[in-house]
Amino acid sequence: MKDFLKKTSPYVMFAAAWTLILAAILLGERVPAQINLVLFTLGGVLMGFGAVGIALSRIRLSPEQQKEYERGETDERNVAIREKAAMSSWYWTLYMLWAVFMVIQIFVGGLWGVAISVVIVLHCAFYMVNIHRWNKKL
Amino acid sequence: MTNRIAELRKARKISQAELADGVDVTRQTIISLESGRYNASLLLAHKIAKYFGLTIEEVFLFEEETT
Repeated sequence: MKDFLKKTSPYVMFAAAWTLILAAILLGERVPAQINLVLFTLGGVLMGFGAVGIALSRIRLSPEQQKEYERGETDERNVAIREKAAMSSWYWTLYMLWAVFMVIQIFVGGLWGVAISVVIVLHCAFYMVNIHRWNKKL
Repeated sequence: MTNRIAELRKARKISQAELADGVDVTRQTIISLESGRYNASLLLAHKIAKYFGLTIEEVFLFEEETT
């Protein structure tokens, strides 16, 4: 089932992307501009994921290359690298968000300040949720 | 922690790729282990020791930190 989903999801995403983009074009000015923007954005994102997924699924590897690729995915050093990179990225993103927050509070304020605060809270909340999840797993 | 992987491998005329294949890791991991940049997990240490037919203590040398 998991394998089936993995194989078909890029095609589903690609088809959904075209559906959304076509809907945006066909609906045109009959819907508010924001709805059109959402349809185009979602369509674009799904198109990107779908196209990359399809391109990756078309790459044919020799059995040795396939084995090496799979080994690379589960290799403990690679896993450790990914974990450390993810942790560093989280901190860097947090520092960056704080910097943006300060700049916005000083120069812009208003709703943008609220929006960036929400993003910072979500950023930390997702981290804590995942810490809790992994604390239960390990 | 230091290890004798490079020494044991060379003594047995085994390539890094062969060892990597034998313990199911990438060659890069073997390179990092040999250079001391990466410390193996207990599972990998066990696999490597088993590959050489030795105990973990004979392959991996634990040095107690002096304060």
